[in-house]
Amino acid sequence: MKLFDKYNRLNITATILTFVLGSCTFYFLLYFILINQLDETLQTEQQEIAAYVATHNTLPEIIKTRDQFTSYETAKGKTKTTFHTVTNTSGKGEEKLREIEFTIEAGSNYYLFKVAKPLEQTESLLQVIIGVTIAMIGLILLIGYWINRTMIRKLWQPFYQSIEQIKIYSITDLNTLKLDNVAIDEFALLNKSINELTERIQKDYTSLKDFTGQAAHEMQTPLAIIRSKLEMMMQNESVVAQNEKHIGDIEKAIHRLSRLHQSLLLLTKIENRQFMATEEIRLDQIINEKIDEYQELIETMQIVTVLNLQPVRIVMHPHLAEIVCGNLLNNAIRYNQKEGTIEIILEPGTLTITNTSPYPELDKDKIFKRFYRAGNKDDGNGLGLSIVKQIGDVAGNSIRYQYRDSKHWFLIGF
Amino acid sequence: MKILIIEDEPTLNKSMVDYLSSQQYLCETVGSYHDALDKTALYQYDCIVLDIMLPDGNGLQILKELKAAGKNDGVIILSAKNELEDKLLGLNLGADDYLTKPFHLSELSVRIAAIIRRKNQAGSNLLEFEEIIIDVPARSVSVNKTDLILTRKEYELLVYLVINKNRVLSKNTIAEHMWGDDMDMADNYDFIYAHIKNLRKKLLAAGAGDYIQSVYGMGYKFTSH
Repeated sequence: MKLFDKYNRLNITATILTFVLGSCTFYFLLYFILINQLDETLQTEQQEIAAYVATHNTLPEIIKTRDQFTSYETAKGKTKTTFHTVTNTSGKGEEKLREIEFTIEAGSNYYLFKVAKPLEQTESLLQVIIGVTIAMIGLILLIGYWINRTMIRKLWQPFYQSIEQIKIYSITDLNTLKLDNVAIDEFALLNKSINELTERIQKDYTSLKDFTGQAAHEMQTPLAIIRSKLEMMMQNESVVAQNEKHIGDIEKAIHRLSRLHQSLLLLTKIENRQFMATEEIRLDQIINEKIDEYQELIETMQIVTVLNLQPVRIVMHPHLAEIVCGNLLNNAIRYNQKEGTIEIILEPGTLTITNTSPYPELDKDKIFKRFYRAGNKDDGNGLGLSIVKQIGDVAGNSIRYQYRDSKHWFLIGF
Repeated sequence: MKILIIEDEPTLNKSMVDYLSSQQYLCETVGSYHDALDKTALYQYDCIVLDIMLPDGNGLQILKELKAAGKNDGVIILSAKNELEDKLLGLNLGADDYLTKPFHLSELSVRIAAIIRRKNQAGSNLLEFEEIIIDVPARSVSVNKTDLILTRKEYELLVYLVINKNRVLSKNTIAEHMWGDDMDMADNYDFIYAHIKNLRKKLLAAGAGDYIQSVYGMGYKFTSH
């Protein structure tokens, strides 16, 4: 629910309640005043009758009018003057009347006078008040709606502008977010805070990036030293004769470590979007080049390759495209069996790489995770597919894995 | 052949000097940006091995100064950062090659040899080892003046072995040189074995000596002793 809708809902409920309550009070107050006024007129009538009786000592003649009914009867004694509201059912339909009852002494007899006036006007007042209330509530809802449509949209404009700017902001662009200073204090505060926040994040990001570069330097140099020293050691044949296995193992470990390091750096760089797609590349050519590179390995394992490559052009960083094709092909060969097959189909929009393998189905949820190794071969560093996935995420490609007909399928959608 | 090694890490510096000196190169070393500027301004080298990140400056700046002074020394950049931009920048500034740490000394030696051959147009472009002569620009090999037909990989392997003669080269090092470090599969050792076997067979058939020695199952050495 939008902020304004929520506010509006509360506001309108309160307004309606206030109006209903106010109208009720108003109605009763007015009703009381009008009755009071009517009572006063009736009292005047009483005084007039009393005055007439006092001067003439006889009862006045009763004149029937439309808005006043007078009647009297003999009474046993003097009673108190009272007011009632009565319903007259004698005429056409029901009619509410306000009536005064009083006794008057004329001669030696007591007479009970009843003077009544209709309440018609007071009744119609109620209808007017209800009508006005409903009209007011309707008007308020209408105005609220209009404010929502026009005013609020205009008022929130700077907010939505800031949101648009934040949406297109990327930390890798290296230019800090500069949200405009706006007239409304709340939005100005928001923009200022966001500007400061991104500035801080940008600083942290830059220092982290520098750190990665420095860490690479700091780690690769000792590695280079170890490797060069080991190579010097290898030149001493008596040392090699005694430590052949150890030297071999150290060499392999150095190699793995340096590759692991490079892969992690590459992953970081891809995550930081340091490779921007700028040119159109021929994917089929890249795949052919990669197959050429791996030809010897394919031949050694007597793998049959079935290629169905259509000329496909996509916009992607060439280095990333090479990595994707290389890693997938590398896996297809590495986890293949002797005399197995690799099938590569490239069509506009999709690349499918299928390979036979002695290994069973892989865990779909984990396959693209870092350091996940399905097979028991220990020469892979478990980063190949997560790099492919990461590139896919950055370049906007989808990558899926399937296991069908005892084959592993990797499908990439462009 | 004079080589200047600009590398601030003394142990790595020493390893390079030891390895390259054993290959009859005359090596000088400096460990700082300013010393390097002094040396490069004063002397001419056949090849300069240049580390980009120096404690008191950027190696690329040295490269710029060299080119600004119109010097023609061959330059191979060493970098710990496997940054594509650094590599492109370095090559655009006129470096001849680029090597990422950690590298194999044998690989460095091959790259230096290639740079020196390219720079040394007037001189000999032949690699010689006993009766084997390799004509690098023509990519042809002859044994006792008879042409020897080799496959592309066999040729690359032979050049690599001849340049790194008398050195023990592990299978891993050879594999990385031949196929790059993308492929680090144990299976590669089988190809190396196959290529070595074929090369040795072809050399022997052409009348060359048996120079390829297996070193304790760990690697190979190309030597006439």
